[in-house]
Amino acid sequence: MNKFVFFGGKGGVGKTTVSSAYGLKCARDGLRTLLVSTDPAHSTSDVFDQQFDDDPTAVEGHENLWAMELDPEEEVERHMREIKGSMTDQVSPAIVNEIDRQIELAHRTPGAYEAALFDRFIDVMRESDDYDRVVFDTSPTGGTLRLLALPEFLESWIERLTAKRKESVDLFEKAAIGDEEARERLRDDPIIRRLTERKENFEFAGRTLREDAVFYLVLNPDELSIEESHRAVTDLTDAGLTIGGLVVNKVAPAPDDDETGKGATYLRERHRTERARLDRIREEFDQPVLAVVEQRVSEIKGSLLDEVTAELDIDVEASPAGP
Amino acid sequence: MTAADRIDAYLDTLEEWLHGLYHGMIEHPSFEKIEKEAEDTADVFMFACFADAFGIPSPISYYTAELLPYLSEEFVQWERRMWDRESLIERKGQQYHF
Repeated sequence: MNKFVFFGGKGGVGKTTVSSAYGLKCARDGLRTLLVSTDPAHSTSDVFDQQFDDDPTAVEGHENLWAMELDPEEEVERHMREIKGSMTDQVSPAIVNEIDRQIELAHRTPGAYEAALFDRFIDVMRESDDYDRVVFDTSPTGGTLRLLALPEFLESWIERLTAKRKESVDLFEKAAIGDEEARERLRDDPIIRRLTERKENFEFAGRTLREDAVFYLVLNPDELSIEESHRAVTDLTDAGLTIGGLVVNKVAPAPDDDETGKGATYLRERHRTERARLDRIREEFDQPVLAVVEQRVSEIKGSLLDEVTAELDIDVEASPAGP
Repeated sequence: MTAADRIDAYLDTLEEWLHGLYHGMIEHPSFEKIEKEAEDTADVFMFACFADAFGIPSPISYYTAELLPYLSEEFVQWERRMWDRESLIERKGQQYHF
């Protein structure tokens, strides 16, 4: 049984709906479930008509279900404050400004947002002992995939940094033969300690994602969404992650046979092309299509969510057969 | 002052001079060389950590910023060195005292 379940896909395909429904399904099956939204445009609050924040909150009206919305913005701020805080103890006031500029710079780069989100991912995974199942509603494909490829990438980078640092500290020690005190020492070097801590963190994340997590892709029956899912499958597989299957959302319903109006003709036509695409999806992907969810007219919440939950055919206890 | 004392004093001076010569020709340049090498390696490390200080986007700078409190002195010196350094030959050539 995979403890961590990720739902990913192109923007606007209905990841939030599907992951909320899946979370609800798990909760109803008696699993203590935490629903985590990582999309910057949080909409879990809308689905359950309840405001969530950065801490897990029990979802009203549903047993065994908790939800939280990650806020990377806040995490970036916190990270920056922490560094600046530890700086005032260590750094002489003369150069604080110069260092400050570099710290601000490091926290304004686009990568900072992802790194912060990633840190929160790791926090949530580490502190998930209270839950049987953690469902991640991720941000649109590109961002999430980059994010999940991070551990390996960062790990090797940190490894190289550590090696360089050791080399230079070693040289400084050698240069100080005789009675001179080395400028830097290998033993208790705070830099190497920090880097090692970071590396362990990434290792944990990489291991957990590979061994204890499963990914479901949400897509719509349209060309763009299918193309993007193909890429996502390749990327996830390359990263050694397990893909559990596909959920096709927003499929147009067929009109009744006796309906012949303009709207009905449009819908019938559309239903036909979407059927064809659905067949194509079933054919082209190695992963099974676990659910086909019909398009709804109104926002999915309340009893509509129940309907979707019933349509969702992902076996809660299922452990996928492997990549 | 006896002759023996004078000889001792003479030998002391000679030893000091010889040691000075040895240090200046053999010992000191090699320390200096290692230290330069250490500094160069440290520079490479700093660059890998803070490439974004020179406008090169670095995905890791969010994490390496955590090291800044410990590297502050070095960072400022490094930044100055990187802007100022004229050429590799100039830097490598410093070990020869013409």
